Amino acid sequence: MTAVAEAATSSATRTREATVRRFAFTDMVFRGATRASAILVLVILGGVAISLVTGSWEALSKFGFSFLTTEAWNPVTENFGALAPIYGTVVTSAIAIIIAVPIGIGIAVFLTELCPRPLRRPIGIAVELLAGIPSIIYGIWGLFVFAPFLQTTIQPFIINIFHGIPGLSSLFAGPPYGIGLLTSSLILAIMVLPFITSITKDVFDTVPAVLKESAYGIGCTTWEVTRRVVIPYTRVGIMGGVMLGLGRALGETMAVTFVIGNAHRISASLFAPGTTISATIANEFTEADGELYTSSLVALGLILFIITLIILAIARYMLLRIDSRAGA
Amino acid sequence: MKPMLSTDLNAVDTTVEKAKIEVKNLNFYYGQSKALKDINLSLPERSVTAFIGPSGCGKSTLLRVLNRIYELYPKQTAEGQVLLDGKNILDRSQDLNLLRTKIGMVFQKPTPFPMSIYENIAFGVRLYEKISKAEMDNRVEQALKRAALWNEVKDKLNASGLSLSGGQQQRLCIARTVAVKPEVILLDEPASALDPLSTAKIEELIDELQADYTIVIVTHNMQQAARVSRQTAFMYLGELVEFDRTEKIFTSPREKRTQDYITGRFG
Repeated sequence: MTAVAEAATSSATRTREATVRRFAFTDMVFRGATRASAILVLVILGGVAISLVTGSWEALSKFGFSFLTTEAWNPVTENFGALAPIYGTVVTSAIAIIIAVPIGIGIAVFLTELCPRPLRRPIGIAVELLAGIPSIIYGIWGLFVFAPFLQTTIQPFIINIFHGIPGLSSLFAGPPYGIGLLTSSLILAIMVLPFITSITKDVFDTVPAVLKESAYGIGCTTWEVTRRVVIPYTRVGIMGGVMLGLGRALGETMAVTFVIGNAHRISASLFAPGTTISATIANEFTEADGELYTSSLVALGLILFIITLIILAIARYMLLRIDSRAGA
Repeated sequence: MKPMLSTDLNAVDTTVEKAKIEVKNLNFYYGQSKALKDINLSLPERSVTAFIGPSGCGKSTLLRVLNRIYELYPKQTAEGQVLLDGKNILDRSQDLNLLRTKIGMVFQKPTPFPMSIYENIAFGVRLYEKISKAEMDNRVEQALKRAALWNEVKDKLNASGLSLSGGQQQRLCIARTVAVKPEVILLDEPASALDPLSTAKIEELIDELQADYTIVIVTHNMQQAARVSRQTAFMYLGELVEFDRTEKIFTSPREKRTQDYITGRFG
């Protein structure tokens, strides 16, 4: 080999090495950037948790554990307890989910299995539009249209039906205010419905056609295929949708504030006014004058934060158990 | 591996045997495109019929007409007649669920349901029969024995069907199909996703099942068709080119196209 050719080869090698070094550098930058983004989430989460704890410290140190178990909420005597808002939050969200899950799954089944093709898109889009309506709209609609309707027709009817039946009569006891726990639950159900529906629909679409065919192939009806094959196959995704809906229901503020009645008490009747954590905070933050009052409201926020974490943890745990039982 | 079934000694002329399924002037369309062209054939009772042919020739489509599973999808239409015991199943009055309990189907990929091994079988039975727990236990055991799977799973009937190996899953699907007590079993390339050992087991199974069931198998594997079937239909571009006793097809086919295909000259 001549000297010239050798020189050419070694310079080519050098260029290649330089390129490789540059690649290594960009790769490192890229890795650093993605890691930083991931860490940022943890930092924000931690920051929120810390500021909630410090902000609520005064209330928590004054009332201690009884903050969770006291129903009273008296700004004048500065005696605060979170039981009523916690109760309202949990009950309204639970009822909303109980109502929305079957309907959402029903819509998803209809859209994926039964709906004639030309109708699929319009209905799907309508459901998604439901998710796009601002919550304030739900709030005023709930207060001016839905609540009066409930007050004059549905609630008196239900009160009459269950009158004298032990248990149910106190659950649906009058007077019909229109606003209250059940009204909030219904509004929340409408609000979380699109989340549950669209996620359920998406996961239903992931079921392999051949699996459904084999179920139809042994003589299953659409109901049986859905109940025994499609839903078990997609339960993880459905749980995800339900949890997302539950998360929204727990934290929903505006619509609930309009229709819940904002009364700090716990009543057996679902028709009675109540309050939720987020509604209380939204309603009272501007008028919270003492330190203790503000701190109590922040403490409510902390509790909501923890409730949401617990719900997510429970969901994870349930999914884990279902998976290990299925052996998949 | 079992020897070829049809020797001259036990071969029966297909025209004499009682036909379980008769296909008459069948045309099939995917939207506008015609996938099956004027198919006529007659499947004898209690024997194995194989559909062979290159990809896209319509053999799977023909199979999917036989239990009307194609109707799950819009824009797929069949014209003509398919007679099951003399009754046209393409008739609108035919109840689909009932039809599918009579005509079971096993697919290319194993499709265990997301439930336990026991439930995979009991599920289908329970749809149409009310039987006691003891009877059901017995039924599940019989079906699993029938599918040569019992010894491998009898200690873990409550484990998920998905925890089995591919070959086991496919035999579970066959057991599930058998448990419903169908009259006809359709197999759509049942061994194409399996290793040779599992394939051999499935083929043995098909051989045993033909004593009680009319079996139709779609396969890409010509050796498999030769091994398991009594009749073979060769299809090409949506047409039924030739239908005859398997040994005839593989030794002295009438049509040039058949000969070209089985000798590997095209397809």
